Amino acid sequence: MMIQWDAETVIKMAAYAGAGLCMGLGAIGAALGEGYTAGQANEAVSRKPELSGEVFKTMLVGQAMAESAAIFALVVAMLLLFVNFPTHSWLFAMSSLSAGLCMGLGAFGSSIGSGFPAGAACQGTTHQPAMGGRLMTTMLIGSAVCQTPAIFAMVVSFILLFSNFSAQPFNPAWAALLGAGLATGFAAIGPGIGGGLVARAACDGVARNPERAGPVTNIMLLGQAVSQTTAIYGVLISFVLIFRNNEATTLIAPSAALLAAGLCMGFGAFGPGLGLGVVAQNAVKWISRSEAGTGDITRLMLVGMAVTESTGIYALVISLLLIFVV
Amino acid sequence: MAIEGADLIKAAAFLGAGICMGIGALGPGLGEGFTAGKACEAIGKNPKEAGLLTRTMLVGQAVSESTGIYSLVVALLLLFVV
Amino acid sequence: MDDLGNIHQIIVHLGGWDLAFNFEAMVMTWTVIGLLLLFGFFAVRGRSLVPGPIQVVGELFVFHLYGLVEDTLGKERAKTYGPLICALFMFLLLCNWLGTIPHLEEPTKDLNTPLSLGILGFLVAHVSGIRAKGFKGYAKEYIEPFPFMLPLNLVGEIANVISISFRLFGNIMGGSIIILVISHLAYSLVLPPFLLAFFGLFVGTIQAFVFTMLTTVYISIQVK
Repeated sequence: MMIQWDAETVIKMAAYAGAGLCMGLGAIGAALGEGYTAGQANEAVSRKPELSGEVFKTMLVGQAMAESAAIFALVVAMLLLFVNFPTHSWLFAMSSLSAGLCMGLGAFGSSIGSGFPAGAACQGTTHQPAMGGRLMTTMLIGSAVCQTPAIFAMVVSFILLFSNFSAQPFNPAWAALLGAGLATGFAAIGPGIGGGLVARAACDGVARNPERAGPVTNIMLLGQAVSQTTAIYGVLISFVLIFRNNEATTLIAPSAALLAAGLCMGFGAFGPGLGLGVVAQNAVKWISRSEAGTGDITRLMLVGMAVTESTGIYALVISLLLIFVV
Repeated sequence: MAIEGADLIKAAAFLGAGICMGIGALGPGLGEGFTAGKACEAIGKNPKEAGLLTRTMLVGQAVSESTGIYSLVVALLLLFVV
Repeated sequence: MDDLGNIHQIIVHLGGWDLAFNFEAMVMTWTVIGLLLLFGFFAVRGRSLVPGPIQVVGELFVFHLYGLVEDTLGKERAKTYGPLICALFMFLLLCNWLGTIPHLEEPTKDLNTPLSLGILGFLVAHVSGIRAKGFKGYAKEYIEPFPFMLPLNLVGEIANVISISFRLFGNIMGGSIIILVISHLAYSLVLPPFLLAFFGLFVGTIQAFVFTMLTTVYISIQVK
């Protein structure tokens, strides 16, 4: 039997594999996040059955937010399945696979993260039924900011899908494109989950101490914004990898360096992203409990986050060295 | 396409450097996050000791970062020495 | 889009060395310095008990930053380091905000600016450490807890400079690349202003603050 390894076949194969990976990986996080929300909602209803209507509403809205990253993954998977992409370059096979991986991995963290505030809001609704509106607002803002890493992943996969790479030589460029997808994809996981932890603490805090809702929401936004810096490093490395001019070569080492740069930044952003979330989570929790020391806690949080981030910055430095120096 | 030994070794060293720094950043990132989180909690409980707590936190973070610095050193060695 | 990562460099050959000057970064840095000098001039001109608008802004900056430095370093040392820290923060803030104005670029987007400021902070911290503890006391810290930790302690100190400068560079560069690419993709009039407000004003302010605070904290670790 003869298999025809022409560009069209290979690109179709890669696009289908990318679509499958995209939706498959993208579904994991959403399922976990929504499951967490539903579990918390059940617990809340069992405590106060008379408030089940309120809890049910909060749960559905929260789950809808948690699902949005999975919907981004669905969009990318549909594009990969049904759009007839130009077949002028073999590189397109790699860029479509990479786009799928990027969106699939990128949706993972954000969907888990958005589940956390939704669960806390369900619990909070039964603690403070009168604060339902305020809680819902905090939850919506918090989970919307959680989606930012998934949106970064979507932007990178769109660029991978719709840019024209036909001028690039195949050998190092395949690694650059794959690395670009992996960098943003993995880098989005940690900050997504971390942002969710912050938002959960904020929803908890608003429910416990409604008078502190203002400062809690502000510090939540600050903490989430700083948590996302490692995801921004991932996007930075991806863009550098996508838009650099590759020189044609027959060696493996340059390709390995580009792929390693993507992997390094992707993995390296995961731990610090999650750690930053933990810092901001504790800061928000204690700001919601006590009036005194809000300024001190905020300052300590920023300094602590800056130091926590440093290993992510070492990963950025190694990635940049791998791309530009070696 | 013939693959030469030296090329293969370089490629493996680059991949190793990337993976070393990438995974090596995971643990310290999480650990330092826990340290700073607990420091925030401590200031919430005892706001008067902010200066002392900041210094304790920074020393603790510097120590837990040392494994991250080992990864950085190994990655740099893999890139430029091996 | 195509000139992403293009740097306008002027290369001067000087006795076997190639000196590269990044033209844009230098012009923008001097713009920032000029604006700050103008601000300082107008803030102190005609000082009065009932302050004018520019004097109020100046006093706000100095009052808050000086308070922060006093908290971290103590009253006596704040007199020495306060002006440096205030100037550093105001310079970084204006640098990071400059990118929100069309046709201007953040000088901090060029790695050389944050790196030189990081090295400056490193030198200030270590020189004050030697001054405060004497050279022996300063050098002794590198062989603690064990003498064989010396190389790792050295790498750790240098890693601080790398992390503080790459943090600023990565955030500002990442933000500006994201704005560029998204505006290019979306052709939208709605999205870029929001992105500029987020990355330029908000992230810029936080990163300027973090850089300043870390410099202060590094000094405080060395002198105590």
